[in-house]
Amino acid sequence: MIGLFRRRGRVLAVKLGYNPNSSSLGADVTFLVLGAASIAILAPVVGALVRLALRRRERREEPPC
Amino acid sequence: MLRGVLDRLLPRGRARAESFGGIIAMERPSALVFVDRAFMRSLGLATPAPVWATDRRYLTAPVEAHLTLTSRCPARCRGCYVDATPSGRGDDATEVLWERAVDELARMGVFHLALGGGEATGAPFLLKLARRARARGMVPNLTTSGLGLGEELLGARAVFGQVNVSLDGVGEDYALARGWDGFEVAAGAIRALQASGFRVGINLVLTRRTFPRLERTVRWARQNGVREVEILRFKPIGRGAREFSDQTLTVDQRRELLPAVLRLARRYRVRLRLDCSMAPFVCAHRPDPAVLTFLGIAGCFAGDHLVAADSAGRVSGCSFLPAEEGLGSIDELSRQWDRVGAFVATRAYLERAGEPCRSCRYLPICRGGCRAVALHEGDAAAPDPECPRVATCTGSQSGPRSNS
Repeated sequence: MIGLFRRRGRVLAVKLGYNPNSSSLGADVTFLVLGAASIAILAPVVGALVRLALRRRERREEPPC
Repeated sequence: MLRGVLDRLLPRGRARAESFGGIIAMERPSALVFVDRAFMRSLGLATPAPVWATDRRYLTAPVEAHLTLTSRCPARCRGCYVDATPSGRGDDATEVLWERAVDELARMGVFHLALGGGEATGAPFLLKLARRARARGMVPNLTTSGLGLGEELLGARAVFGQVNVSLDGVGEDYALARGWDGFEVAAGAIRALQASGFRVGINLVLTRRTFPRLERTVRWARQNGVREVEILRFKPIGRGAREFSDQTLTVDQRRELLPAVLRLARRYRVRLRLDCSMAPFVCAHRPDPAVLTFLGIAGCFAGDHLVAADSAGRVSGCSFLPAEEGLGSIDELSRQWDRVGAFVATRAYLERAGEPCRSCRYLPICRGGCRAVALHEGDAAAPDPECPRVATCTGSQSGPRSNS
C-alpha cells in the first residue's frame, strides 16, 4: 500500500481559489478551523481532481506542459 | 452535447515542472496544487523534468503576475499605494508593451494575472488584454473599485477567473478607510457582476478604524451572495505612507485578527483570505506549520511565486516594493528572472535573516513578514516590525496598543 502511494506521489500544498487582488498574495484561511484534518480531507480530494483534469487533457492530445 | 456539458462541469488543469515536482493550476475548482515528483511522474508529466536536476531555491517562473495597467483613477482613495490620480502619473506603459508582457508571461508558464490599477477598468485595452491572456492559457483576474464598469466588461464573464471589488466597509464605514463614500458604487458593481454571472469577491483593506466593523462587512458579504472576502493589510506605500501610522492595526488587533477571522468564517460561512503580509499575525498563534504549508498560507514570496509591474511596466517582486534597478520591463522578464542578485531582498531573506526571525520555527512560512512594511521602517532586509514576536523580542510595540 505504501509502495502504491509512493508511486502515485503526494499533494504537497493546495492554494484554494484565485487571487484577484492585484497587490499581494492571499491565502484561504478558512480551512485552518479544521487544523490537521484539512490535510486529510483536501489532499485525496484535490489529488483525484487533478488526475481527472490532466488525464482528460491528455486524452484530448494537448501538450501537458 | 453531453461532451459539452461535461467539459463545462469537469475539472481542467495545466501543469508546470518545478524542482520539488510540479505545480498544477486548476480551474473548476480553482486552485494551485503543488505536487511531488512522483505525482508528476504518475501523470506522465515531465519525466524527468530538466529542472529536477537543479537545486533551484525559487520557482522557474512566477505563478502569478500583478499588472498595474494604469495610474489613473477618479477615486482618490487616501491610502492608494499607486498614488493614482484622475490624470495619472504620465508614464503609463502602452498597450503594445502590455501585449508583449502577456506573451512573455505566457511563454514563461505564468498561470494567473491579477489586473489592477489605478482603476483598471479605465484602461481602454483591458478587455483586449484579458482576452489575449486567456487565449494564451493564463487566467486573468481583476480588481476594481466598481467605477467605470461598462456593458462590454459585464458581457465578458468567460474571460475572467474572478473579479474582486474593493469594499472596505458597509455604508459610512467605507469612507472611514478610503476617505470618500464609494459604498454604493462598490455594492452596485458587485450586484451587476453577479447578475452577469461573474465569480465575485471583495477586497477589504483592514485598518485600525475598520477592524471593529469587520463583522458587519462579512455579514453584508454573506447576505449579498459574496462567498469570498480577501482581507488586506494597510501598506505604507504611495499615499498610504502618510496615512500608515494612523491606519495600521494596533498591537491588540494584530493579535486578535486570526481568532476573529476564523470565528467569522464559521459564523457566516464565507471564505476568508488573508494577504501574505499578515503571515506574522497568523504564525503568532502557533498553528501547526504542516497545516500552514499545506494550505499555502505564507509570507513574502515576492520575486518568486509573485512578480509585479508598475504602471510604467517596470518590474518589482511585489506591487508594494519599488521597481528594481536593472530588472527592466515586464515584457523582458525571462531575461532577468535568473539573473544573479535579482529580487535578492526577498529571495535571500531565509538565508540572511537575523534575530528574532532566525530562531523562529515559522521562518520558512512567514518569511519575515512584509518587506514593504520593513522598508518603510528603514530596512527591507529587517524583520517585519509589526510581527508580534518581533515586537515582544525587541521590546518595541510598533503602533499603539489599542484603538484610542
